[in-house]
Amino acid sequence: MRKSNKSSANYPPCKYACPILTDVREYVQLIAERKFTDAFASIRRQNPLPRVCGRICTHPCETACKRGQVEEPIAIASLKRFAADGLWADQYKAALAIESTGHKVAIVGSGPAGLAVAHDLALLGHSVTIFEALPVAGGMLRVGVPEYRLPKDVVAAEIEAIVALGVEVKTGVKIGKDIKLSKLSEQGFQAVFLAIGAHKDRKLGIAGEDELEGVVSAVSFLRAVNLGESPQVGKQVAVVGGGNTAIDSARSLLRMGAKVVSVVYRRSKEEMPAAEEEIEEAIHEGVKMAYLTSPVKIFGEDGRVSALKCIKNELGKPDAGGRRRPEPVSGSEFSLDVDMVVCAVGQAPESSLFADELKLSETGERIYVEASGSLATSLPAIFAGGDAVTGPATAIEAIAAGKQAAVSIDLYLRSKELPSVEKDKREETQALPSTVIERTRSFSRPSKINLSVDDRLKGFDEVEACLSEDRATQEALRCLHCYLGAKVDEERCISCLTCVRACPLGVPTVSKMGEISIDSFACQACGICVLECPVQAIDIDLDSRAKIFKQMETAMAGVQGQRPLIVGFFDFHGNFGAGDIESLRRDYPNIVPVMVFGVRRIDTVDIFKAFALGADGVFIARCPSDNDPFLEITDRIDRRVSYAGRLLEACGKKKEQLDICNMPKEGLVEKEWVDALIGKIKGMS
Amino acid sequence: MITVEQKKIEEINTMTKDYSCLLVLGCEMCAAISFAGGKRQVAELAAAIRLSRKGSGEEGEVFEESVARQCEPEFIDLVKDKVADCDAVLSLACGAGVQLMAERFSDKVLLPGCNTTFLGVTEELGVWSERCVGCGSCVLDKTAGLCPIARCSKQLLNGPCGGSMKGKCEISKDVDCVWQLIIDRLSRVNQLDKLEEIFPVKDWTPAGHGGPRKLVREDLKS
Repeated sequence: MRKSNKSSANYPPCKYACPILTDVREYVQLIAERKFTDAFASIRRQNPLPRVCGRICTHPCETACKRGQVEEPIAIASLKRFAADGLWADQYKAALAIESTGHKVAIVGSGPAGLAVAHDLALLGHSVTIFEALPVAGGMLRVGVPEYRLPKDVVAAEIEAIVALGVEVKTGVKIGKDIKLSKLSEQGFQAVFLAIGAHKDRKLGIAGEDELEGVVSAVSFLRAVNLGESPQVGKQVAVVGGGNTAIDSARSLLRMGAKVVSVVYRRSKEEMPAAEEEIEEAIHEGVKMAYLTSPVKIFGEDGRVSALKCIKNELGKPDAGGRRRPEPVSGSEFSLDVDMVVCAVGQAPESSLFADELKLSETGERIYVEASGSLATSLPAIFAGGDAVTGPATAIEAIAAGKQAAVSIDLYLRSKELPSVEKDKREETQALPSTVIERTRSFSRPSKINLSVDDRLKGFDEVEACLSEDRATQEALRCLHCYLGAKVDEERCISCLTCVRACPLGVPTVSKMGEISIDSFACQACGICVLECPVQAIDIDLDSRAKIFKQMETAMAGVQGQRPLIVGFFDFHGNFGAGDIESLRRDYPNIVPVMVFGVRRIDTVDIFKAFALGADGVFIARCPSDNDPFLEITDRIDRRVSYAGRLLEACGKKKEQLDICNMPKEGLVEKEWVDALIGKIKGMS
Repeated sequence: MITVEQKKIEEINTMTKDYSCLLVLGCEMCAAISFAGGKRQVAELAAAIRLSRKGSGEEGEVFEESVARQCEPEFIDLVKDKVADCDAVLSLACGAGVQLMAERFSDKVLLPGCNTTFLGVTEELGVWSERCVGCGSCVLDKTAGLCPIARCSKQLLNGPCGGSMKGKCEISKDVDCVWQLIIDRLSRVNQLDKLEEIFPVKDWTPAGHGGPRKLVREDLKS
């Protein structure tokens, strides 16, 4: 049994799953509160490329999300994009070091790893120059990922923000060729970070590959497309491979005018390394999938590709990587009529550029770094990370490498020491008890709003639309607040069992000797135990009692003199927010809105506190049942209000001074209702 | 547990109005479990008293404090400074707690904020019912574990009476006839023959009819 207070593993699974430990829970909550500027700041502090990640991140956070055990995970990546795309994002100011350190660092490669390290080092006061071999900066983000997934101007804006920190970007300079690595120190660079990515396509290794026109590598094809070179495409094209590069190529080919595009993949769909939603979109756009198929030979006519001979596979025993090995079925050969073959069977770094200067990995493909996690190469002051070291991986992993490199390089520049980095222990998300899953109210994830296939195939317009403010806020409200729920103060607890009896999810448990445990992973912070605990031994981190009191005191202090002064407790789940609350404040300066996480947790003490602070009236704005995640305890609000009303009357107040406002489905509390309440209260005096 | 119920605020206001400086003292055992004397009820009641006083213009001061059990001298001694500073203590304990407070702080006005109700059990959140009157001489072995003293309106030992109707007591259709329950349960455990033994006239001395009761364990006392 995990004990609520003694657990050290209190990272929410979304954060734990993220290579850069993004505080997902925090920004999702801020979006739920419609604090969009704060949400963006929360993301941006950790991630220098939020607009990129909001679009193309493989979002391991969503895979880990607890909500996924109930129905579907929170659309975290879409929320990140929402927070990053809004105009409020422009208000973000990075916390730049006040003084320059005088250290110069060269970054080789301007992909996600290079940009991340440049960003972090610039913030630390180092002078950073990025060398980029291609004519444009951005690495694979710019020349690998097609625009329909990641528009050029988005990448450009991210780079611009990093350049604004004082980072210099020199394009068209290939380190290792134009300038030798060893020459960089002569130019005054005290440290180098190699983030050259993996831009070299692997070969298929079949006959016809090298000599026939119409056989192209996926990386060079996508690069040409992204650089606006309008490469010639065939009418009928086979794309060999099953990763994101293969799918990106196939979908780009359709946009470039190919009539039939077939993805040839040796295993089945389940084993395909490409993101599932990418595969689905590709199929939706008309890409044909030839699973369990391997290419055998490329035929040509007049030096051009004319057909791809393939063989069918069946899946055998799992290989070392755990995926079932494809085994050819003899006699199953067949030919695909194609005039173009795109090879997308993996990429490798162009590490040969540095082979005479640096130690490479055992296979000679990648750049060797020390096992300590410092990302130091075999040469002093030279570091490496991202795809160049790991082979093709995700953008967020490259960003993580960049961030780690920044830590290592900073330490190295300051003290000539290297850090020893403990490998993160990634754990599987804890399983929710089945009773909790059954009792958790389901809310569906917003469906994506995508361009029609017709419109998509006209060009490279971005396929997916950004969430609207309302949809984003609604989606953020689905968060189940892992580890922010009830905490029992063991010293105060008297084992009265109230929490065990009151919890709508059945989370608290008790031992024979009366020890109460509340699994802080399973708890969803409804607050009912906080409200009912007779000895106030429970509080929730998300919205502590002290926080509510403080909010009330601060707000009340600003409006004394207004009459009748009315405190309204508003629920985040009412799905109205800063904007609406502002209009309420404007229309009714005498109403003090107090935002709480679940008005069900407002108790008599809170109500009396409002009166003690000078309120003439109090109301509780209850969200419509459509939005209420804890329907079964909603009627407690009625009972609480009627109990408190009786008590108030006995204390010389009128019961009209306390009311419940049932919120309409959309928007804010209705004016008629507010006016009637004000009228009632005025009429009493 | 001993169940207690907070008195009505009107009665409490009348009782406390002459004492400008009041200490509301919670009791975090039975009274808290009864939702009458926990820290939350202390806060609620103190807020209500303050609000009432604000209306009447004589606010004074209302302090809040709680101890684990007011029926133990060691616990209540821990708040003696707070007690000394106030004009009266409003105790949210059962009658035993209030009295020990009164004994311990002999020159202080002690007021009961609760009514002591019964020895009982929790049926569900917010519902308690009586099970024991502390008669000092338990007969549950003969009555299938169900007490006719606590749960029969007439405390009959050789029941049921003629007022038992369809398993309910004649005083209210909401009250079970405990003798019906006893007979049903004895049947289930094949001990109906126990009813053939007639209860003699009950000696009520240990129930307090012989004067205030005291329990002394010679082996433990100092």
